Amino acid sequence: MSAGDFAGEVGSIAGRWIKKTLRRPPFLFFSLVQPVVWFVLFTAAFASIANINGFKESTGTSSYLVFFSGAVIIQTVLASAMQSGVGFVTDMESGFLDKLKVAPIRRSSILLGKLLSDGARILLQTAVILILAFALGVGIATGLLGLVLLFAIALGFGIAWSGISTFIALTTRNSESTLMISLLTTFPLLFLSTAVMPKPLLQDNVRAIAVYNPITYIADGLHGLIITPGLDWPVVGFAFLIIGAVGFVTLSATTTMFRRAVST
Amino acid sequence: MTAQASTSVSKSRSASIASPRLTAEGDAIIHVENLVKVYDPDIRAVDGISFEVRRGEIFGFLGPNGAGKTTTIKVITTLIKKTSGTAIVDGIDVDKDPAGIRKIIGYAAQEVGIDDELTGRENLRLQCALYHLPKEERDGRISEMLKAIDLEEAADRRAGTYSGGMRKRLDLAMALIPHPKVLFLDEPTTGLDPQNRAAVWDYLRGLNEQGMTIFLTTQYMEEADRLADRLCIIDHGHIMAEGTPASLKGSIGADVVTLSFKENGTPNPNAAAKAALARIHGIREIQEVDGGIAIYAQDAPALIQQIVLALNDAHLDIAELTLTHPTLDDVFMKYTGRKMRTEEVTPQRRTPWGARRRRPM
Repeated sequence: MSAGDFAGEVGSIAGRWIKKTLRRPPFLFFSLVQPVVWFVLFTAAFASIANINGFKESTGTSSYLVFFSGAVIIQTVLASAMQSGVGFVTDMESGFLDKLKVAPIRRSSILLGKLLSDGARILLQTAVILILAFALGVGIATGLLGLVLLFAIALGFGIAWSGISTFIALTTRNSESTLMISLLTTFPLLFLSTAVMPKPLLQDNVRAIAVYNPITYIADGLHGLIITPGLDWPVVGFAFLIIGAVGFVTLSATTTMFRRAVST
Repeated sequence: MTAQASTSVSKSRSASIASPRLTAEGDAIIHVENLVKVYDPDIRAVDGISFEVRRGEIFGFLGPNGAGKTTTIKVITTLIKKTSGTAIVDGIDVDKDPAGIRKIIGYAAQEVGIDDELTGRENLRLQCALYHLPKEERDGRISEMLKAIDLEEAADRRAGTYSGGMRKRLDLAMALIPHPKVLFLDEPTTGLDPQNRAAVWDYLRGLNEQGMTIFLTTQYMEEADRLADRLCIIDHGHIMAEGTPASLKGSIGADVVTLSFKENGTPNPNAAAKAALARIHGIREIQEVDGGIAIYAQDAPALIQQIVLALNDAHLDIAELTLTHPTLDDVFMKYTGRKMRTEEVTPQRRTPWGARRRRPM
């Protein structure tokens, strides 16, 4: 089988998922309405956080909205990635996975195509949030390169986290479990990190946990890119390192479970 | 007579010209030997079956739910691994080159495997891509299939809006997209109304006349009878009988009277009936089947009066009596001792929290 065939398979499978996603009302809701709600609600409710002593010093901005933009990206990508696995469960239940398994394709294109479509979805959602943020007056302090890096972090983080839900989906083979586990983990991970609150302002015990929460380092990377002029390479680099490490673990586990699910 | 003779002569001549290999006529395209599939923990879904499907025939697997039909088809189509035994399709061993088998077969599962969120046309287009059809052929192939299954009008509607019959037809078209050498159909008409069923039968016959080998499973006697050139009756993972529908019916060689009895205090009415009927001349065999007894006789209508009188003398109240010329139902009953139940069993779609689905992957 030629490399062109393989690319064609992966592309067709990714195309299928993208088409499906765009046709699904919940997707439009999550990617469009929810960020708006987050921006409006949180920035209205917590605008005064920016007045707390030490906020500006530790974040580099006196606007909670600007700081919060990173959190909206994380929240949306997290929620989106946590649903990635559900598609596999649906395919197992409907028998579509069998259709793919009996086709003369490389089995790996089934997983690759899915991950590729997850990545495309996450890029689209990130773009929507950024457009919204720009409309609200938030800028990217690190310019075009920063913007590219921001998309790269969102993409990498999203795919690494898609691996978690895909692993859960392939293990439980049950969409309710996949969604419940996702919901149960999303919010604690978000709030026990520096995504919504700068590190110095976190409670001592929360800060102690946040240090071990990978989301913290993704958040620090995003905040840095949005707020601080001049690229802080160590912070951004560390975000990518975390993505690489988490991604390696989740995608290895996913690949193992996937092989088991499609083995004949 | 003469005409018939000359046709058969020319037919055999053309066959020998067309196929230089001696084995080409009537040779096996599917060869299965001693196939065993055990699911965890200890369910022997298929328990040592052997059969052959000949090139160019429609071969049927007839049996009730849970007989092992789907498991067998899934092993041959490389969807699941067998526990032991041999399965070869067109000379390719499922163990050695499953990818090679996937290239030459088409498969439509019992559960329709189409994507509801895509249109019929998009489903077919995806299938073209998965089977690596040359790009320039795809549109033509898709229109051809849509026409063949009469889905042209609905082609650009989402498959989720289709009726059961349309979904089943689309699924069949999906399986046919790659021009398969062997078409595997797992209960192709289950859930269809009689009209749709007849249309599918006609279509399958047409495909077969063009030379496609078709392996189908069914729990409908009529379907097996009308469609299959040869069939196996399968039950509890075993092949109980094998042959053409005519030879299987002929193996009964008699009419069948089935009887069941009312509860009237007589202990073991089946045994009592057997004893009461033993004296009647002309009865070839009496078999206990579930719910009653089956009587096999050459000229059953002539014996009905004697049978009823004998049972009356034995104080047995008849609940139901049927007289039939042999059907595949009777064949099934004769070889399995059970009546074939054809009622639909709703597939279990939901499982309790976190429980693994039992469905073989």
